[in-house]
Amino acid sequence: MKIALINGSPKVNNSASGVILEDLKYYISEKAEILDIDFHKSVVSEEQLKILNSAEAWVFAYPLYVDGIPSHLLSCLVQLEKARLQNHNIHIYGIVNCGFYEGIQAEFALKILQNWCIKAGFTWGGGIGIGGGGCLSMMPKTKYGQGPKAPIHKALELITDKIIRHETQENNYVSVAFPRFLYKMAAEMGWRQLIKYNGGKAKDLKKQWK
Amino acid sequence: MKLIITDIKDFNIPIQEEHKIISPQGDIRNCIGCFGCWVKTPGKCVIHDGYEETGIDMSKCTEMILISECCYGSVSPFVKAVQDRALSYIHPDFVIRKGEMHHKRRYENVISISAYFYGDNITETEKETARNIIEANADNYCGLVKNVQFYKTVKELEDITL
Repeated sequence: MKIALINGSPKVNNSASGVILEDLKYYISEKAEILDIDFHKSVVSEEQLKILNSAEAWVFAYPLYVDGIPSHLLSCLVQLEKARLQNHNIHIYGIVNCGFYEGIQAEFALKILQNWCIKAGFTWGGGIGIGGGGCLSMMPKTKYGQGPKAPIHKALELITDKIIRHETQENNYVSVAFPRFLYKMAAEMGWRQLIKYNGGKAKDLKKQWK
Repeated sequence: MKLIITDIKDFNIPIQEEHKIISPQGDIRNCIGCFGCWVKTPGKCVIHDGYEETGIDMSKCTEMILISECCYGSVSPFVKAVQDRALSYIHPDFVIRKGEMHHKRRYENVISISAYFYGDNITETEKETARNIIEANADNYCGLVKNVQFYKTVKELEDITL
């Protein structure tokens, strides 16, 4: 069985989507052949179409942008719909990470992918909405199923079972195992460190343009 | 000021009040998730392609009107690119609103959002998704939803009053 893992982040390196797909590989790799696909830009290549057409399942991992799908990935979906691939037995799964703490805020970004499946002639297999995605690429490697990523690993393990069996699951919404107030505090400290690193001051974060 | 964001290149629907139209005039680059609009040039996107000041435009508007093809319940890639690039309208810090985490306001203006979607085969599910996303946008901008409408063609849009 071939499974395409599609990184839908615009970031080439160090994206939360990339971290999630690496973690997913831990569960999938011994059960199926993995095809890595990067949708970092708004164009799908012929080579990518050929690879995708050979897979039985596609797993999209992407960040939540303004309550929906990042624009470049939306362009890719429009192209994939128009491409009319011959393989219609493809199951589609989505994993959305959001910077907010609550995974449920990814609900409509998954719903867009589900709606796209109907238009493009594919079968929706379900998804995961992950809250607290902002810290995933900064976390040290922990044992699978342990530490702050434990709920995410559990959700990845469950969806792996569905993917391998070509089955469908209800969308599953999880958050990092980390108190919300600490996540908020850590993020806000991070913005202050970054703006200082870039030569600014913490008060510049609230700059208003006239 | 009314801020109109549309994917219709030759947009000619009359608007009576003061307004600004953002439509496809040259290629738009997508947001790359760098957060430069928060930590390098706060309030303004760092990509210089003519679409970097939408966050500032939003701070000056009372109504934001999205006129877009409906793509699976989302706005079209162009309108979404403009929205993604306007992340700087909000502040990076978080607040809890209605029990959920959202971003703080950067500006004080309250935006009412209207959306006019077009497309010849918009399903009822896509309409529901679109309405939900506009509601979610309003929550994140700490604004309001004024109106969400659906049309089959761009031609039908000529009858709307903005």
